[in-house]
Amino acid sequence: MSRRLCLFVLVCACAGSLHAQDIAGIAVHGFVSQGFLFSSNNNYLSMKSSDGSPQWTDAVVDITDPISENLRAGIQLRMYQLGEFGGSNVQVDWASGDYRVNDHFGIRAGKVKTVWGLFNDSQDVDPAFLWTLLPQGSYSIDHKSFYLAHVGGDVYGEIPLGKRAGTLHYVAYGGQATIDLNDGYIQTFAELGLVFTNSLGGETYGGDLQWETPLKGLVLGSSGNMLAANGTAPAGTFHSPAYLVPSMYGQFSRGRVYLAGEYDRIPINATLTIGSSVIPFVADGRSWFAMGSYRLSKMVQVGSYYSHYVNKGADTTQPVNYSKDWVVSGRYDFNPYFYCKVEGHFLHGTALGYYTSTNPNGLATNSKMLAAKIGFSF
Amino acid sequence: MNKTRCLILLLGSFGAWSAAKAQDVVLVANRSVQISEITDSDLRAIFTGKKTRFADGSHALPVTLKGGAAHEVFLKNHLGEGPEEFRAQWRKLVFTGQGAMPMSFASESALIEYVAATPGAVGYASRISSQDGVKSLASVK
Repeated sequence: MSRRLCLFVLVCACAGSLHAQDIAGIAVHGFVSQGFLFSSNNNYLSMKSSDGSPQWTDAVVDITDPISENLRAGIQLRMYQLGEFGGSNVQVDWASGDYRVNDHFGIRAGKVKTVWGLFNDSQDVDPAFLWTLLPQGSYSIDHKSFYLAHVGGDVYGEIPLGKRAGTLHYVAYGGQATIDLNDGYIQTFAELGLVFTNSLGGETYGGDLQWETPLKGLVLGSSGNMLAANGTAPAGTFHSPAYLVPSMYGQFSRGRVYLAGEYDRIPINATLTIGSSVIPFVADGRSWFAMGSYRLSKMVQVGSYYSHYVNKGADTTQPVNYSKDWVVSGRYDFNPYFYCKVEGHFLHGTALGYYTSTNPNGLATNSKMLAAKIGFSF
Repeated sequence: MNKTRCLILLLGSFGAWSAAKAQDVVLVANRSVQISEITDSDLRAIFTGKKTRFADGSHALPVTLKGGAAHEVFLKNHLGEGPEEFRAQWRKLVFTGQGAMPMSFASESALIEYVAATPGAVGYASRISSQDGVKSLASVK
């Protein structure tokens, strides 16, 4: 209760009259969202969702200073609670300096969101989406700390190809990625017998190339992210050599219509060493989704997606090795600041989002879920 | 009588067409901006944060209205989207650290005053006068 009060006070202190505060060019933005999850079977994302759970809160404050025409600096702080993940500590979402030489070349350095696929860098920006939960096969909310940001630098820019060929947008980056102690991976390692007291991490590098096609509204792209992770716990170690995580995607947006699709692969080939035992932590995750939405009016948007994940490195007929999710979603914007979302999930398979600690009696193969959120943003 | 009715219909249609055609905004820029016309493609790129420069390489500072008819007409006619999509795009840029929200104003007079005083600023309004201290830009498809 006191944690939620702190969140409320933090954001209210910055929200003021619900307009972004601008003092001598410095801009302050933020958002708060409160979610609710109910599942017909199983407990999802470490929440006691089978009883209905409100343990799903985010509060973000963002300060940006446009120092000059070419240089901008900023920081974003976040508190979040997702079931057993998150906590009362304030985290730095990103903190960076951004120098844009021109439209063809810019540099960003610090803690920087990682551009990968359609939504990786923005997956936790709840006010920007219709969806309450993004496709979990590609953007698992309980594992996001490792993929969401890196400490290092990016170069970015655009390459015009001419009026008839569109524009290429590129990002290339390198740095260090970290698995937070509040991440779902840490919970999974603990359930396997390895309890970490320090964060894990490793080098990451990669890039994204996006083609803004001559057909207005159509964007195609591809990303590649190399990730490695190592860590030492009191009882053992975790080692994951570098692996490539590719993504291919496309989106079409025009007027009231939005369509998108993406294919990703996350091949993990890691080991946990506990004493003399070496436990393989292996998965060849293949995921794809197709989504569409339509704006009915200024205030109402509806949509649906299908998300498909399988672990190709194991028996894909077993529910523990797949997760298939049909989703229908609606969003209502009361005004430019306040919104609410309601979403239904028809989930088959148990490969994603489940933990033994919250499901000690095992898992049912299928579950229906109702997710809802209310939020405001300024 | 039939000729009169035809004439009335013709004039009425012309009026409706003129009204529809007139439902666009005036693109306004600070007088330091050297270009006199701008493509919708460049407008879209500048107002969605993808570009920060005009075609001649000079710095472009987009300025918007907070809402209203002129804002919606500008977004629909020149960016091809509604206010909600426009807001969502900027929220993604701001909350990922990849951009800063453009200055926005509650009234056209405040927007015009800011554009007049700020080098590189570009915005829109339903109408301007010669006393406003801004220049207008022609829109090229």
